[in-house]
Amino acid sequence: MLIEIDKLRLRLGGAVILHDVRLSLGEGEIYGLLGPNGAGKSTTIAAALGLLAPDAGTVRVFGRDPRQEARTVHARLGALPEHGGFYDWMTGERYLGFFAALYGRRFSPSELRDRLARVDLVPRVGQTIGSYSRGMRQRLGLARALLVDPPLLILDEPTSGLDPRGRRDVHDILLGLAERGVGILLSTHLLDDVDRLCHRIGIIVEGRTVAEGNVADLLWVEGHDRRYRLRLAGEPPPAEVGHVAIVDRDGDWWTVDIDPAWPADATWRDLIAGGWRIAEIHREGGGLENLYLALTAGGTAA
Amino acid sequence: MSPILLIAGKETGELLLDLRGLAWLLAMTAVLSGFALLLVGDTELSLLDNAQVVYDMVGIVTAVGALLALVVGLDTIAGERERGSLVPLLLTPVARDGILLGKLGGVAVAWVVMYGLAVPYLWAVGSTGQNLAAGLLTLALLGTPVVLGFGFFGMGLGARLPMARTGLLIGLIALLLAASPLVLGPSLRQSAIGRAFDAVNPFSAAVNAYDAVIIDSQAITAQAANLVVTLVWLALALWFARAGVRRVARTSPCG
Amino acid sequence: MRLMQFTLALTLTLAAAAASAGDLSVDLAPDPKNPASPQMGDNLSFHSVIRNTGATAVDGIIGWLSLVQIDPGQEQPVDLEDWSAHKAVTATALTSGETLEAEWPLRLIQAGTYRIVVSVVSRQSGELAASPFADFTVREKPVVESERVLPVAIGLPLLIAAALLWRRRAG
Repeated sequence: MLIEIDKLRLRLGGAVILHDVRLSLGEGEIYGLLGPNGAGKSTTIAAALGLLAPDAGTVRVFGRDPRQEARTVHARLGALPEHGGFYDWMTGERYLGFFAALYGRRFSPSELRDRLARVDLVPRVGQTIGSYSRGMRQRLGLARALLVDPPLLILDEPTSGLDPRGRRDVHDILLGLAERGVGILLSTHLLDDVDRLCHRIGIIVEGRTVAEGNVADLLWVEGHDRRYRLRLAGEPPPAEVGHVAIVDRDGDWWTVDIDPAWPADATWRDLIAGGWRIAEIHREGGGLENLYLALTAGGTAA
Repeated sequence: MSPILLIAGKETGELLLDLRGLAWLLAMTAVLSGFALLLVGDTELSLLDNAQVVYDMVGIVTAVGALLALVVGLDTIAGERERGSLVPLLLTPVARDGILLGKLGGVAVAWVVMYGLAVPYLWAVGSTGQNLAAGLLTLALLGTPVVLGFGFFGMGLGARLPMARTGLLIGLIALLLAASPLVLGPSLRQSAIGRAFDAVNPFSAAVNAYDAVIIDSQAITAQAANLVVTLVWLALALWFARAGVRRVARTSPCG
Repeated sequence: MRLMQFTLALTLTLAAAAASAGDLSVDLAPDPKNPASPQMGDNLSFHSVIRNTGATAVDGIIGWLSLVQIDPGQEQPVDLEDWSAHKAVTATALTSGETLEAEWPLRLIQAGTYRIVVSVVSRQSGELAASPFADFTVREKPVVESERVLPVAIGLPLLIAAALLWRRRAG
């Protein structure tokens, strides 16, 4: 396991922020950490990074204590904090070169430009970070996290500030890394990101892990199937398809929940074969949204 | 290159290449220029008054240098923390003491730059007077620990306080208190409290040394007692900074 | 009787005063090596000779240097604290015809016109013997020269402001 957190309890400034958090991440996995604002996601990430000391429980990264063996752990992980800052007077290449040197690596200027290009960041020659847009800064932070090709990435809101194209690019990068065995711990508010990226998720509410595991399993266990809105050209046949439940109807629009154990493509084929004349299909935020809302109801919100 | 040198180089860049750092340098030279220009019109100065001018200028350079070092020290911890650039540095495989030494190096570079800027001013106002070379040497020997001490003090404040603004306020008050011998008359410093304060105040030690060397033409080697006071201050400030920077890693560095 | 005592005392006093005032003379002359037109920071030297011109010895000689500024409107005595470390000369006694010579070095601290005099008294007399005056003028030396200060005071901030603007444009 790359990260193992169990029964984590942590106090900050006299207040207990984390009561009981658990989390585990293996190689090639993308783990999504979800929760309302103030739930303790960033604090959990800080504990995993070794920046905060737990009051109880265990935190292990690469099997080591990230505080006691900080230098060893930090040498092998890349991190992107949520509100990361940069040195505005530097160029992007110089910034990466500075951090590469701190990691004991040396890159040529062309290699540094290549690193920036991998995150689709191509600044003007001599352009300083002070003039970067928010999206450019986010890409630069990601480039820094990927600088030494670490086996573990810990990312706090990695697509924040990116347009839809930028978010999709980041998704592709992260999926590609996971396929190569990189473990990724990802904290995000965006359920679309979770839906597309995460193999496993953990939901934290008021400092406690209230759900953790494979997305499909959680949806199944918690009873939140996938939901879609279908526009039908005509009335559906009376016979229902076993793994499809009709939730609501509004004119030609039908809201249905599909058993997450069934692939969506197969479900559409079954419906069409069963006489459903489907003109449009829209994802209704997914059962994940309902799962999240149900589990975080009454949780802390900023 | 050693991480310490890398980080010190980065801090130097913040001072000399960042708009904020250049603005501070501009403000510091404006203060020195203001004082120097006040003297230009006065041609009635006797040789003795000229020694007084050099003494005053050396005192002002020390005070201004200490202010710059305080600001740099605060910014290198609290300012970076507020801007979000401290956490990525803490997440590199560089030892905490390495980060500390690199940032201390940044404070030292700020003083070297300040001293370098002050030399032309001192030459301009004091080259025709007495004891300019000795004054420059005394400024280097005794001014350095005073100034660096305030820089390290700023780092320690920045590490402990949640906001850079609070640290700046506390640091300025401490600096004003320590630099009060520059403005208080000798009679006020002769009271029991004044003498006790003088005995432990590094600023007083430096100012007394400047007086002895520049105005009274005493030897620099006779300033050992004053030097000891400034070195004790430097050691205490360094301890304060080190303990604080280690705490930064233990408190929440995130926003 | 009382009149006789008074007359005797007066005679003795007058005799003593006449001996002191007439027995000591002081000469003062500038050192020939003094600069012709001294300025602030220069050093001058004066040479004095105290001579016992009387027939008897004079005891307890004290001679001292006095300096006064005589610029119109600025007439004032000058504290010799920073001008000279050598401010007085003494002798236990001067026999008839004996002389006491002294050098009086001065460092010129401030511009102006000055008058210097050496005064002498003896223990036994209340009279003062003074040398002739020696006058000298000290030229001003611009100790804070605008040619030096202005380029620095204006140039350095301008240089930094230029660097600031350059960085702003580069960013």
